[in-house]
Amino acid sequence: MAFVMSKGWALALAIGIGGAVGAGSAFAHDDKLPPNASPATKAAYARHDNFRKLGGAFKTMNDELKKGEPDKAVVATNARTVATLAGQLPTWFPRGSGVEARPMSEARPEIWRDAAGFSTAASNLQAQAIKLNQLAAAGDIDGVKGQVRNTGMTCKGCHDKYRVEKKD
Amino acid sequence: MVERSPGVRARLWDGPVRIVHWLLVVLICFSWWASGDHMNWHRWSGYAVIGLVLFRIYWGFAGAGAAKFSSFVKGPKAIAAYAAKVGNREPSTTPGHNPLGAISVLAILALLLVQAGSGLFAVDVDAFEGGPFSDRVSFDLGRQIAEWHELSFRALQALVGLHIAAVLFYGLWKRTNLVGAMITGKRTFASDPGHTGAPVWRLAAGVVLAAGLAWALSKGFRF
Repeated sequence: MAFVMSKGWALALAIGIGGAVGAGSAFAHDDKLPPNASPATKAAYARHDNFRKLGGAFKTMNDELKKGEPDKAVVATNARTVATLAGQLPTWFPRGSGVEARPMSEARPEIWRDAAGFSTAASNLQAQAIKLNQLAAAGDIDGVKGQVRNTGMTCKGCHDKYRVEKKD
Repeated sequence: MVERSPGVRARLWDGPVRIVHWLLVVLICFSWWASGDHMNWHRWSGYAVIGLVLFRIYWGFAGAGAAKFSSFVKGPKAIAAYAAKVGNREPSTTPGHNPLGAISVLAILALLLVQAGSGLFAVDVDAFEGGPFSDRVSFDLGRQIAEWHELSFRALQALVGLHIAAVLFYGLWKRTNLVGAMITGKRTFASDPGHTGAPVWRLAAGVVLAAGLAWALSKGFRF
């Protein structure tokens, strides 16, 4: 009976692993910048890298804050990165750098169609990130913990409106 | 037809199997809904799913009757033999999962583990929300895992769709009501298949084990 059962499990396992591998290849953002890429295409790729840096810094800071005794230096360093990148963010979206420049781009055309709204959303992030950075630089861990939510909400607010929900 | 023929109402699915089944139905739907804007509820729902699946796997070995994997997981020959006659318009007589359905059961259980397991490590695009183990992975890897989490859910939707289609097929074409048995635990058979129950201590041990492990996972193994 054990032998018979192992076949069933092997099949179930194969389906699970197959699904995971398929997912990895289908979704991975690992396409390389094509040679002779136009400035708009280069901007789309650079933007993606910048968002990964922004997300990485924000995550490192959030992970640190979850610890019993967060390292103030780690929090401050990453908060500064978040604030710096947030300040640069409006320059990451030159006109024409959407899906037309990189099909995998998750930037919605509304970014340029509703430029004023997008600009306001970017300013909101900047304002919250500056506050975050000030609190982190002052070593106010409790203050940072509170401000993290406000900052994250501005990320989410903009993603909900100007980012494609799912691209595959 | 079979309803008119003489038969006995016999025990088929025990309480734990039915409770796990219907709780999974509720929690999978709830998790789907909560994934939009209620990540706290989504996480709690996921921990409950992990606990239920772990319990069901345990019960597949420690339980009794139709709950046991050894009672319904068959080899390729039995699966092929069953598949050859599955289209026949006659009521199902299998006292439990049939050899084809067994594949579906195992696939759904495995996929639920992939689904909930990937959720433990997943990181949201805002780098704000994440599973209890998301601090053990980088932002990039956490995002990758979140994408697997998404794709595995589509596979799960497909399997659930197939499962519902099969239940409808048995009900409409073969005139076998499978849903009723999953609710009442009983079905009419030509003769009682004689399913027995497992001792209560084994049930209690499984509940404690599964709940304990799910709780530990929800804490990210930090106590």
